[in-house]
Amino acid sequence: MPRVKPKRHNVIVDMTPFVDVAFLILTFFILTAQFRSSDLEDIVTPKSISSLTLEETDMMTVNITEDGRYSFSPIESSSGKKQLLEKMAKKYNISFTEGEINSFVVSPTVPVPMSQLKSFLHVPKDEQANVKTDGIPLDEDHQEVMDWIKYSLEVNPSARLSIKGDAKAQYPKFQELFEQLRNISFYKFNLITTAK
Amino acid sequence: MGVQAKLKEKKKEQGIHIDMTPMVDLGFLLITFFILTTTMNQPNTIDMKLPAKPDQPTEQPEIDLSNSISVLLGKDNRIYYHQFDESGLTDPSKLQETTFDTEGIERVIDQAKARAKKPDIFTVIIKPTEDSNYENFVNILDEMEITKTDHYGITDVKPWEQKIYEAKVGESGGENVNSNEN
Repeated sequence: MPRVKPKRHNVIVDMTPFVDVAFLILTFFILTAQFRSSDLEDIVTPKSISSLTLEETDMMTVNITEDGRYSFSPIESSSGKKQLLEKMAKKYNISFTEGEINSFVVSPTVPVPMSQLKSFLHVPKDEQANVKTDGIPLDEDHQEVMDWIKYSLEVNPSARLSIKGDAKAQYPKFQELFEQLRNISFYKFNLITTAK
Repeated sequence: MGVQAKLKEKKKEQGIHIDMTPMVDLGFLLITFFILTTTMNQPNTIDMKLPAKPDQPTEQPEIDLSNSISVLLGKDNRIYYHQFDESGLTDPSKLQETTFDTEGIERVIDQAKARAKKPDIFTVIIKPTEDSNYENFVNILDEMEITKTDHYGITDVKPWEQKIYEAKVGESGGENVNSNEN
């Protein structure tokens, strides 16, 4: 029936509130985006089909680079880190100044052995990535990596360990780490991978 | 005169309509970007459990050879397997080579599992040699996931296996250069 079809009104929508809301949500996400502290070394983790995401709470990490150097990232907690440093200082008979302790709390990773730690803590944060080091030693005679792990557990009994290894790192480095972990009865941990 | 100019300006301003649509598009695009990057920030992980260290050397229970398969991780991303024990692994031909893809180790494990006397307790024994790298290790753990093998263990390469493995690598290394020396 030729009735008058509903008249088409040109709808003028004022987009201003849209933009306001959009930028508000955007600002929220920018502010809550937590950037992972960039690692001092470039580690390319191997690909895996595992899709379990890493739970970051109470997580300490042992990093192994392509040429097999170990470094340790303690749990991100200022009080925890202070206590951890105190325990390591006691064991290795090194005393740290207030400034060095603060620098330690701010650094995400320890890539140097205890003997070089004091000087490392004096390097400003931006240049820490350029420090050349052989990593923290781990073999029968040197148990520094295990000491870091043991004292982290003492400071925080619910600490969890993850291993971030480079895909091309040779297996014996991991074998050594696994052996030592078994020695301190630490059996459960995570391996960090990237999605395939 | 000044008031008139102002009035004219006001009129002109009312004529400008800015279409905000592209700005909204941009805004939502950036939001989506930030949402995705914060969720992708979390790296993936594999849960790993090491076997407990026994206090005394325990007696190895009788393991039927068909219920297990030993997988060796060699150098240059090579992978070998066998289902023999010390007496059975007599020469390098018994150690077979395969690849990391679906046609390779996955099929090998599935076939071996099907042949097993008790498929429920079928165990894969992973023995990484010193020449293998971390990627090989993670790949074999992935294969455990893909073939749904719950029982697997990671141990050291036994001396008798190491000998056969080295002989095998020597063979294939020789073949690449010229014909085998046998």
